[in-house]
Amino acid sequence: MVDTKQLWDNCLSEIEVAVSKPNFSTWFKNTHIFKEEGGTVYVGVPNEFVRDWLSNKYHKLILKTLTAFSDSIRGVTFVITKNTPQSDKKSNQDQPVSLNKELPLQDLYINKEDNLNPRYVFDTFIVGPFNELAYAASQAIINKPGAVYNPLFIYGGTGLGKTHLIQAMGNAIKNRYPDKKVHYITLEKFAIDYVNSVQSNKPNIFKEKYRKYDVIIMDDIQFLSGKERTQEELFHLFNTLYENNKQIIFSSDKHPNYIPGLEDRLKSRFSQGMIVDISEPEYESRIAILRAKLRDANVSLTDEVVSYIASSIQGNVRELEGSLNVVIMQAQLKNKPFSLAEVKGLIKNNIKPKKNVAIKDVVKAIADFYNIEEAIVYEKTRRKEIVKARQMIMYVLREDFNVSYPLIGQKLGGKDHTTVIHSFEKIKNDLKNNPTLTGELEQIRVLFK
Amino acid sequence: MKVECLVEKLKSAAVICERSAGKNLSLPILSSVLIIASGKSLKLRATNLSLGVEIEIPAKVTQEGIAVVKADIFNNMLSSINSNQNIDLELVNDNLLIKTKQNTILLKSTPSDDFPTIPMVEGSQIEIPAKKILEAIKSVYFSASISDIRPETNSVYVYGEDDMLICVATDSFRLAEKRVKIKNIAISPILIPLKNTIEIIRILENCSGDIVLTTNKNQLSISYNGTYITSRLVDGIFPDYKQIIPKEHTTEVVVLKQDIISALKLANIFSDKFNQVNMTVSPIKKIFEINTKNNDVGENKTKIDGALTGETVEVSFNYKYLFDAFIPISQDSVNLEFNGANKPVVIQGGGDMSFTYLIMPINK
Repeated sequence: MVDTKQLWDNCLSEIEVAVSKPNFSTWFKNTHIFKEEGGTVYVGVPNEFVRDWLSNKYHKLILKTLTAFSDSIRGVTFVITKNTPQSDKKSNQDQPVSLNKELPLQDLYINKEDNLNPRYVFDTFIVGPFNELAYAASQAIINKPGAVYNPLFIYGGTGLGKTHLIQAMGNAIKNRYPDKKVHYITLEKFAIDYVNSVQSNKPNIFKEKYRKYDVIIMDDIQFLSGKERTQEELFHLFNTLYENNKQIIFSSDKHPNYIPGLEDRLKSRFSQGMIVDISEPEYESRIAILRAKLRDANVSLTDEVVSYIASSIQGNVRELEGSLNVVIMQAQLKNKPFSLAEVKGLIKNNIKPKKNVAIKDVVKAIADFYNIEEAIVYEKTRRKEIVKARQMIMYVLREDFNVSYPLIGQKLGGKDHTTVIHSFEKIKNDLKNNPTLTGELEQIRVLFK
Repeated sequence: MKVECLVEKLKSAAVICERSAGKNLSLPILSSVLIIASGKSLKLRATNLSLGVEIEIPAKVTQEGIAVVKADIFNNMLSSINSNQNIDLELVNDNLLIKTKQNTILLKSTPSDDFPTIPMVEGSQIEIPAKKILEAIKSVYFSASISDIRPETNSVYVYGEDDMLICVATDSFRLAEKRVKIKNIAISPILIPLKNTIEIIRILENCSGDIVLTTNKNQLSISYNGTYITSRLVDGIFPDYKQIIPKEHTTEVVVLKQDIISALKLANIFSDKFNQVNMTVSPIKKIFEINTKNNDVGENKTKIDGALTGETVEVSFNYKYLFDAFIPISQDSVNLEFNGANKPVVIQGGGDMSFTYLIMPINK
């Protein structure tokens, strides 16, 4: 027997010829066969108007057409169904316009008291080797807010999920301890609030406002640099909250020691709890992230495509999601799976070109970092500070940019390649037991991002 | 077809039919009205396949028959004819010949074969005074969302509970709930599309007696002496709104409705492009003040006398949302209950719990 969809399509094409076009598009367009049982076909229609009209007016025609295709059919009944398959498809196509689902009513009134976005939850947070320490710390804190790791300081590059993690912590704490007052704020908002309170001469309201919370989550701490009064205010707030065992959570894109213009007393306080970093996800985690996003969007891509996206977009999770969204949206528009070539074409603009920096630029940037003249690097001098910078340049050129030893030597004032190898090994060994040097290297690497 | 009736009766039926007739649809016949003469009455029917009406008016039928004429033309024509006289309708060569003492009009009629039937709803029936259901719906429908992206908020939610008929509407910025006491009301929750609600209100304005409300899963119908209205229902779940209505409050204000309405009207002249109206309540200083400021126009402050209790609070609202709250309130005084700066405010009529209006402040 022909399957019902095929049957109805055949039937409709017959009917389309028999009735006028306006009539067909008004009455038959959104209908389908709901089920077939014991010789009776149940036709699903969108509403009662259509049901009445079809059964009064077109009953005979439909039955006649149906029986012409299938002898076993003895009757037709019309039922009102919620969605015809066609309108289902349509709503799927509508989806990409807003990839985020509508918030239910309780979320429409986002709680202004805690500022948390309910969208950020641990269910959608993907844990991999790159962030498992941060995740473990967050779970420990959720179990005992204020008791362990206070403050928690999370740092990592942009788009790696810091905000997601800390907001999810806020939401989890809020759910588990409904009586605890959680508050999420970006440093920028905090600074503006502070300036406003000074302006309107109400510093006490400002102080009280933040002191009443049980858990404070502060995002983007790196913007503290240069804001001296805000730092002082944060320092006092920190002390008060810490004294009262209130949990404090910070996020930043740098380690506190490398936030320029941050006062020492704040640095040391940030370090007294736990500092964890979120690094860039490695290939397997990127695949896991892509798969999770695909599942949420209800789209399937071939393994080949997923692994291509994961391998071509490195580092940033946000960019990874952005590229994936492009692919998902296109897939939903076209409504067919993609070949690898098509995907390559789609996301070619999202892929950053391979790192290719002129040696001169590296020298200049690192010389600037150590505050020495660029020209001195090329000279044959053995002054300690110059040597260190020169060795660092060689190390970075070799490690990060894969320049050959002889070329490095040649470019840096005609040095022998063994000199370069020695420098490389020396820095490599020093890095193992000199945290200051490690920090410097990290800072330098940021410059080339 | 040959029939005679009163112009006045025909007029009021034609107005309703024109509004319910379809516009810009793929089926042109929907913009017409079907006229049926049979037995001792004349029936006018119009539908846009979402809403359908059928109105029966008494008439002297000499010859039974059916005619289909354009609804807008039929209505325009009748509105220009003197009331208080009789009118004759006769089908001559498939055209409708209309005669009064002064006028003779020939209207093109089209074949009636394609004119849709309107569903006769079968389901649970209840009898309600029209006034009560009208009051309930009219108190809330303006709060429904105008956009049809979410069909469940683009409609009015109606349900019965403990001898109460309850109507609710929200567009997520404000919410209105009206409770009307009706004995033994058993009506399962339904969502009436906003567009149809507006038409139903218009039609029921002229009804003084009881209506029979019939509902099933997909359709509702309202019928009263000779008028039959049917509307499709939205298939969806209305958001669980009860949980967001605050049960307590930190500040309460009781003022005369007229005072706050005049203050708001003045305030609106100076409101900015976001229609922002600021409200300051300070029970300690005994100040309840409404102020607005527009850099291009100027600013104003209005103090309103009232009974203030609780904490000091400053909130801003959208003028339109705030003003809407006072229209359905019939009492002379109104209660405003605040819960701090960024929490919804509850507005009710003085001593009247039947109407509740919830409004979100503008985020500062």
